[in-house]
Amino acid sequence: MSETKLSIVDLTKRYAAGLDPAVDRLNMQVEEGHLVALLGPSGCGKTTTLRMVAGLMDPTAGSIVVDGKEITHTPVNKRGMGMVFQSYALFPHMNVEQNVAFGLQMRQTPKAEQKKRVAAALDMVQLGHLGKRQTRELSGGQQQRIALARALVVEPTLLLLDEPLSNLDAKLRETMRTEIRSIQQRTRATTLFVTHDQDEALDMADRIAVMNGGLIEQFGSPTDVYERPQTHFVANFIGQANFLDVTIISETGPAPVAGEASYKVDVEGLGGFGAVGAKGLTGAHELVIRPHRLKVTLTGEGHDALKGTIERVSYTGDALSVAIAVGERSFNAQLLTTSGDLPRRGDTAYLSWAPEDAYLLPAAAPGKAS
Amino acid sequence: MSEAPLFKPRFNAAKPAFGILVFLLYVFLLAPLLIVFVVSFASNQYLSFPPEGFTLKWYEMLPKESTFMEGMKVSLIVAVVVTLIVLALGVPVALALDRFEFKAKAAVQSFFLSPLLIPSIVLALGMVLLFGPLRLNNTYAGIIIGHVAITIPFVIRTTLMSLATTDTSCEAAARILGANSWTVFRRVTLPIIAPGVIAGGVIAFIVSFDEAVISLFVAESGLPTLPVQVLRYVENSADAAVAALSVILILISLAVVVIVERVMGLRKALR
Repeated sequence: MSETKLSIVDLTKRYAAGLDPAVDRLNMQVEEGHLVALLGPSGCGKTTTLRMVAGLMDPTAGSIVVDGKEITHTPVNKRGMGMVFQSYALFPHMNVEQNVAFGLQMRQTPKAEQKKRVAAALDMVQLGHLGKRQTRELSGGQQQRIALARALVVEPTLLLLDEPLSNLDAKLRETMRTEIRSIQQRTRATTLFVTHDQDEALDMADRIAVMNGGLIEQFGSPTDVYERPQTHFVANFIGQANFLDVTIISETGPAPVAGEASYKVDVEGLGGFGAVGAKGLTGAHELVIRPHRLKVTLTGEGHDALKGTIERVSYTGDALSVAIAVGERSFNAQLLTTSGDLPRRGDTAYLSWAPEDAYLLPAAAPGKAS
Repeated sequence: MSEAPLFKPRFNAAKPAFGILVFLLYVFLLAPLLIVFVVSFASNQYLSFPPEGFTLKWYEMLPKESTFMEGMKVSLIVAVVVTLIVLALGVPVALALDRFEFKAKAAVQSFFLSPLLIPSIVLALGMVLLFGPLRLNNTYAGIIIGHVAITIPFVIRTTLMSLATTDTSCEAAARILGANSWTVFRRVTLPIIAPGVIAGGVIAFIVSFDEAVISLFVAESGLPTLPVQVLRYVENSADAAVAALSVILILISLAVVVIVERVMGLRKALR
């Protein structure tokens, strides 16, 4: 079992008395070597949390513990962390090597060792040949790598990444995503990564903390937060989702996933359908189904199928997004395109889903506002 | 900046006209300097135009004219000390104004920038009255205090401009990498804002060196600066020695500008 590297206890930040806190009694444990994404919309408190961990901002309350030592009030420059900023924040008056060497100079590392470690760090980000360049001569992706090398060369207790990919163009972003992740795994640097991009979080993170309104809505692995969202907000923020208000008729047995149960649920006015969820649920609930897990057929009426009309079709090459109206409701479904006839607006379609693809949100989920 | 214009005019009828306008503006700006330059080599007995012949005697006279040499010494000492003081005060003030929120921020800002708005004759009068009982009239301290007051707005303004365009996360990055506040300032902030600071320093130096009104009021009798000496000289004699002196002063200013330009690019400094 891995050890806890960082634990955040009841961390709170209130910018001004009377305002809602930007971060509200946040708790989180990060395992050594993990990359944890703080994911959420702007204003959810993710950057504030990161800045408090870095020491750039004083928490109003709560504590931050790294390696078993409380550092809540340790000055920034004594925390030994590494951070990559959205703007990269390279020192414009220093060349690449001087930028990377800065942290080592502050630690008064012997000159010879500095040289070796700077070279190694630059090699790690594949920019060993650019050491003497001025930073402004570099492309965004290269600056990004230098910033990463500068943060990692000091072997930081924690690596903090503040939306490091948001200033890159789409293609480069994907390359850097893979590269940052592989460097992180090689160095085993425990990393906190702030992002508003769910794809980045799902792709790179060991754990995702989905944040909303200063709170963590859910903390779990990428598959957890995608497949087993614990709140409406999480289901809605990560990926696309269809929501249905349902009432549980009966528990029908165990589900494929351990600790869960299969249910028969009543979708108001539409009949009984299969679903899965935590054990022991009763009463009114909300059902989440991902668009690509909906089965859509144009011909035969399937078992348990809902009959509807295609309202809108949008074609993106490999996939087809369709909106299907069933009575008052509208479902979003995603189909892979085939060479045959594609569904068109106005066609009749039949909707169904496998019970294990329909997940019941725990009843405890408060506030449906997204 | 070599940015391409948004569109190119199809025919350039305006171009020669613009050229003529620029030429006239330069003539307007430089003509007085040109005349001074010509007069300084003229053999006319008195300050007058046009020249009657060529001579270097006015330049030869300068080193022997002890009032000029004395004035030059006073002015240089004052300008150097003023520049140092104004940088030491102005840069921290600008930093505070840019980086911190505090109660009397607007008041502090106006206080430091106000000398730009007050006629220097008013300031000078106030200083004479104030310095009398403090025994600061006719002292270096008196002139220097006066000059610091009128030059500090320049340093604050140029430094603030540099600060406004810097990325504060550079400082945060340095702190996270282990630098304490002083190291951050010395190794990161100061080098980044250096263009503004140097521009402010150069302007402060030139303004102080050139200043006549306050120097005249505060220290005319006891410690005349070069501009004061020039004024007195012109009052008493009408030869072209002042023209020669002016040419020397123009060359000194030009040298300062050229050096700054060479070292760091004036355009960057005045940006």
